[in-house]
Amino acid sequence: MKARELMRRDLTSVEPDTLIHEAIYLMEQAGLSTLPVVDEEGKLVGIITEHDLIHAALPEYFEMLHSISFLPNLNQIQKRLKEMAFKPVSDYMKEVLSVHLDDEDLHIADLLIRKRLKQIPVVDDEGHLVGVIRRIDILSRLVR
Amino acid sequence: MILTVTLNPTLDKFYWVDHLPLSLERVEEEILIRARKSVSSAGGKGINVSVFLACMGVETVAMGFLAGHTGQIILRDLLERGVTANFVWIEGENRTNITILEKGKEYHPVKIHEEGPRIPTHAQELFLKKYRRMLKRAEYVVLAGAIPPGIPETIYKDLAREAKAAGVKVVVHAGRRPLWEAVKTGPFFVKPDVREELVVGDMPVRTEEEIVAAGKKAVEYGCQACLISHHITGDILITPEGIWEYEAEVPLTKFKNLVGADDALVGGVLYRLTKGDDLLEAVKFGMAAALASAEVEPKLCLAPAVIEHEMRTVEVRRKEDR
Repeated sequence: MKARELMRRDLTSVEPDTLIHEAIYLMEQAGLSTLPVVDEEGKLVGIITEHDLIHAALPEYFEMLHSISFLPNLNQIQKRLKEMAFKPVSDYMKEVLSVHLDDEDLHIADLLIRKRLKQIPVVDDEGHLVGVIRRIDILSRLVR
Repeated sequence: MILTVTLNPTLDKFYWVDHLPLSLERVEEEILIRARKSVSSAGGKGINVSVFLACMGVETVAMGFLAGHTGQIILRDLLERGVTANFVWIEGENRTNITILEKGKEYHPVKIHEEGPRIPTHAQELFLKKYRRMLKRAEYVVLAGAIPPGIPETIYKDLAREAKAAGVKVVVHAGRRPLWEAVKTGPFFVKPDVREELVVGDMPVRTEEEIVAAGKKAVEYGCQACLISHHITGDILITPEGIWEYEAEVPLTKFKNLVGADDALVGGVLYRLTKGDDLLEAVKFGMAAALASAEVEPKLCLAPAVIEHEMRTVEVRRKEDR
């Protein structure tokens, strides 16, 4: 099966100059934990995830301790998030792997598993975002 | 690609009942109506056009505003039907429109339409940004349906101007002032919604003569085609080349669900235009799609063979040369 048959044709996305608080608002309203980032032409340029935003808001020594249980409360994280709120998505987005409309399911599943991705954007010949494939889309197809 | 704009999407809820009591026998009574069947689906004029087109295999993108739990249901339904969705999310809740169809009187439904959420200015700006981006990839844009609170009635005029500047053919499927303001930009195809008021612009459209006069006015503004319903199974097409009557001899009792029939018509016209048909033939197919939709319980008839068969019932007569 090809990506075009598997994908959700949902183009919910942000642009590089979208502010972080707007991206968080969109994630909340649309119920998405990952948003593709597209340019003025609608071409995929990156991705921004809930996970990346949380990590950006954590204290730098988190990488060493791997826990926030030593914090007395969430005030420090909240302060950091408020600083981030009016910065653009481009400051926090990362480069993203994508698949083409005609890529096969095996290739897509391999990428999702190997790269530990929750979802992967689908692009057309010109690089326009045309949909996304989530892990659950493949799982539910396979279980039918 | 065909882009559709539905600024006020809805979750359409249909209830089929055996009997619809319209008055109480005793004042202390309450009315309890048990539905024989109920169905929900994503709705709104533009969305219906997109659903029709996606089912016919035409690439289509639906745009507008989604909100809340109802918005999630609308989105899920659209994605399942193969429509590409590119909506702006806002706070609140999308509207729900209720249609009650009584057995034997399905041609006379009872409808309750909600107003829809207020659209904040910031969300309108986001929508415009997305709209301009999508215009670059569109062949046609369909501006359709009611305007939600917070958006000016001149919105379709502005969106039509942007589309024309981008070289995209504009179809307006709406009513009252939003329609007429857009007509002044000279869109490609106009299907006025005259369900609430038999008026197009400030002109009444109760008789054939009045319909033709309103259509001619639209053509004067630069419209390539204006299709106005004369009665439930009859439309008049006014173009710069001439005027045609489309008529189908179908008894009212054959209709099972009229909701969305007009949208199937617009979808049918666009489907055939993208296949290379001329306008007259495309409108004939559109009318057949509308009839086929009205004759089945689901909101839209999505079976091409049924629509093709229905074309035999549609007669086209040239009414007047220009």
